[in-house]
Amino acid sequence: MTMDRRTVLGMGGAAAVGVLLAPGVQLIAAPPNETAAANAHRWAMLVDITKCNPACTACIDACRKENNIPLFGDPARDIHWIRKVEVQDKERQRPPFTLPVLCNHCEYPPCVHVCPTSASFVRKDGIVLVDEHRCIGCRYCMIACPYKARSLVYFPTKPPKDGNPQVPIRAKGVVEKCTFCVHRVDDGQPPACVETCQQSGHAAMMFGDLNDPQSEISQRVKTLRTETIRPDLGLKPHVHYQGL
Amino acid sequence: MISNYTAIEGQSFRYWILLGILGGFFLLGFGAFVYMEVYGHGVSNMNNQVVWGAPHVFAISLLVMASGALNLASMATVFAAKHYKQFRRFSAFLAIVLLAGGLTVLLLDLGRPDRLLLTMIHMNFRSMFTWNVFLYTGFIVLCFLYLWSMFEHEKYVKIAGSAAFAGRLILTTGTGSIFGVIHAREVFHSAITAPTFIAVSLTSGTSICLLLLVATFRYTGRDMDMRLIHGMRNMLTFFTLLVFYLFVVEKFTKYYSPAFYEVEGWILAGPYSGLYWGGVILLGLFAPLAILFNPRMSNKISGIMTAAFLSILGEFAFVAHVLIAGQAYPLQLFPGHEVSSLFLDGQSAVYSPSFVELLLGLGGVALAGILYLLGIRFFRLLPKKAVAPEDWHPWNP
Ligand code: SF4
Ligand code: SF4
Repeated sequence: MTMDRRTVLGMGGAAAVGVLLAPGVQLIAAPPNETAAANAHRWAMLVDITKCNPACTACIDACRKENNIPLFGDPARDIHWIRKVEVQDKERQRPPFTLPVLCNHCEYPPCVHVCPTSASFVRKDGIVLVDEHRCIGCRYCMIACPYKARSLVYFPTKPPKDGNPQVPIRAKGVVEKCTFCVHRVDDGQPPACVETCQQSGHAAMMFGDLNDPQSEISQRVKTLRTETIRPDLGLKPHVHYQGL
Repeated sequence: MISNYTAIEGQSFRYWILLGILGGFFLLGFGAFVYMEVYGHGVSNMNNQVVWGAPHVFAISLLVMASGALNLASMATVFAAKHYKQFRRFSAFLAIVLLAGGLTVLLLDLGRPDRLLLTMIHMNFRSMFTWNVFLYTGFIVLCFLYLWSMFEHEKYVKIAGSAAFAGRLILTTGTGSIFGVIHAREVFHSAITAPTFIAVSLTSGTSICLLLLVATFRYTGRDMDMRLIHGMRNMLTFFTLLVFYLFVVEKFTKYYSPAFYEVEGWILAGPYSGLYWGGVILLGLFAPLAILFNPRMSNKISGIMTAAFLSILGEFAFVAHVLIAGQAYPLQLFPGHEVSSLFLDGQSAVYSPSFVELLLGLGGVALAGILYLLGIRFFRLLPKKAVAPEDWHPWNP
């Protein structure tokens, strides 16, 4: 068998040029999807950790149910939208405490910066979402998020029988994370974790609009000493903590 | 001085056996991909902390090596080392095939490889990955142009070769920057990560050229002037010292600031310290240097080949260490505090590659090997006789 090397080289070169140029061609306009949220709001959460009961997992359970999050029974690969973290300072100068940690819906989210397909995006109201139809599962966002807020779906998933029809199940191979229960927020309700925390009687979590100066969360963030996790990274997280 | 280029016959039993073995590995790798595609990444050992596992180690190692493989050609074209001119075609072609092997693994390890086209349609230009898509495809285009000019239009060789040289530096900077720019990961984040990747690309690229040149010449009954091998050996020595220097600078910088004591202590004595000391430092640095500076061993082909092989192992260990240890080191939610959770906060992640992942990675190596074998069979990439100028005498230890 012989092959004309000029043809082969030419074909290879042409293919490579094609691949190089293809990205520049905007074949399909980005769907408007959820990007079009009003920018009048700036949703945020405030957690009073002095009220967070170490034994309570109400927020986690509520989140799992509300968002159809499957449990695979493998701690390293289970999907966590929200988790309870126990913290103890190394000098043991104060008692250990627990706090819920979830996606911080950063104002400058590194996960969005690194996502090659723009599957991760920030809505105008500050909610950071993953478009699961656009995510290619490269997992770069998981590397970039300092809060370990993202999980890859490691196993095939099925919609649960008694699940919440409002929240589509995420297929294997994509990355997912807390959405601040965007479907509820758009309906004027607080996220499921916050609602359950209130109902459980601990009332450690609250949710609201930072852009509304009258809202309780604005007032409290303004007047109380609140902090965020790793403020030094400069990401401006929107989950604030009181009593940290 | 430049002898005539010829393709190999590629009819020998050995050629077909080699092709068959590599083909088998490629098929196994493809099978591993299908398996992972059907059952999800759960069949790998990756987890939510170590999300890039063995396939990434193979892919990135091949990509880094690809950029280094072009070095021989650059020596001839950009640095006017005329005696390497006869290996230009080989070197540029090898860069392309290694790149093809690495990229294939990278793409097949995506959670949703079926959506690959999306990366071409929706581009996020703030993402280092997006830039890398351009850098890889751009580098392939530049190598093709370079090859084409060597084959057809010698007058464009200088410009095409210089462009490819610049391309490879930018490419490796881009690859190193996938890690170096991530603020949240303390093991990765450093301005020196990208230059270190470049230095490592030089050692592994030179090594793979050495190994393949010697093997190809030997098994196809071609002649090679030993001084050419000695010249490459000297390059390898120099590049390995460069890597050593960058490692020292890195540790020096880190140990100057108490903020890094904890993570540095973890690197040097933590769960992945074996990979660091055994793989990166011993196999990749000290062992090759010991051979290269030993006059008895470094004047023999077998010694040089061993050093080259160790350098390649060292490169894999280096990439594995940056990647795996970089991810396994727990994210510091509250620096100075102990944290724990059901999501394994505060714990070093446990990861060892699964069989599926290794097969997928080896499949990429096999693909590169197959393309190389086909390349030397169908293109005139190598001279029948490689000679060096009479008055050229490379330094000997
Ligand atoms: S917490 Fe992580 S996932 Fe959430 S917006 Fe910030 S970087 Fe992204
Ligand atoms: S895994 Fe998905 S969401 Fe994350 S960076 Fe990649 S494409 Fe974007």
